[in-house]
Amino acid sequence: MDYIDPHIHMVSRTTDDYETLARMGCVAMSEPAFWAGFDRGSVESFRDYFRQLTEFEPKRAAQFGIRHFTWLCINAKEAENVSLSREVIAMIPMFLSAKNVLGIGEIGLNKNTKNESTIFLEHLELAVQYDQQILIHTPHLEDKFQGTRMILDMLMGDSRINRSRVLVDHVEEHTIEAVLENGFWAGMTLYPVTKCTPQRAADMIEKYGPERLMANSAGDWGPSKPTAIPDLIMELKRRGHSRELIRRVVYDNPRQFFSQSKNFDLAALPG
Amino acid sequence: MSIDPNAVKRTAEKVLAEEFLSARSKILDLAATLDRLERASGSVENAAQMQLLSQGLKILCDDEFDKARRVQLLMSRQYDPDWQKTYGLH
Repeated sequence: MDYIDPHIHMVSRTTDDYETLARMGCVAMSEPAFWAGFDRGSVESFRDYFRQLTEFEPKRAAQFGIRHFTWLCINAKEAENVSLSREVIAMIPMFLSAKNVLGIGEIGLNKNTKNESTIFLEHLELAVQYDQQILIHTPHLEDKFQGTRMILDMLMGDSRINRSRVLVDHVEEHTIEAVLENGFWAGMTLYPVTKCTPQRAADMIEKYGPERLMANSAGDWGPSKPTAIPDLIMELKRRGHSRELIRRVVYDNPRQFFSQSKNFDLAALPG
Repeated sequence: MSIDPNAVKRTAEKVLAEEFLSARSKILDLAATLDRLERASGSVENAAQMQLLSQGLKILCDDEFDKARRVQLLMSRQYDPDWQKTYGLH
């Protein structure tokens, strides 16, 4: 079955992974800017990273017939450095015209601090100013519930934000309802130990239905499984769910959400 | 949110039959972890993490529904609706 991975960090993965993903049905992916595993020291590091996301990765993906899209920001972990964050935010507009950029992301919170919140709000301002879609990272483990509620407060406190153009990622059993109820899109991350298993994601699909709901692997440099979406497809098939329902979650929904960005074109592959 | 009662395609009997071995394995893993803690030197009886595990196990054994969500909330930091005021962001 063709599918789209709406959140995967391919800069951390090998070219062999691209080939495996293509063989398993991945036709498109979106890669939000994130933390490299260490804090970068200057805005020039981000300039190179954004070039990698907008120039190099789309070509690497295209070798296997996969469309690669991306989102730009400084992530929540490095947002603790407010002055660097502001330099990065000021640089982002010069990359927004790149052909594979879908919006601002993955912005969010990590430890739910004041500095993280300040930089989150400044990213929102950037998204509004440039009419960009938004992809959101919600915190890990014990910080997720509190952080997700704080993020929703900030989003809903700004009447200029169009909720149908915002994807709140890494939802789990205790955060999904508030995200969907308030009109946002929700992403479930299939990630070993710290996030959601394919079985629990299937439970949430059964409980809340497929509307505005998608799943991603968030494959990155840590323990993660880039082929996690095919695992979810198998779990849903095993439970007797229809091809239509599965396709809606893993293909139609990301396609519908991304289509709100002028740069989303499933047909176009970079030459 | 409205929940579709027909969304679960399998009967309870089928879910149990298909998932018994997996659930059995997870209970054994948990039991072995508790045994390992018991055998190890030192004491974690009053450790906050141990209290959380203990309360989580109680949720698994009670008669109420929505267990995954309740365990998640148990393991979560509290949300303060006035956080923006605390941070001076208003």
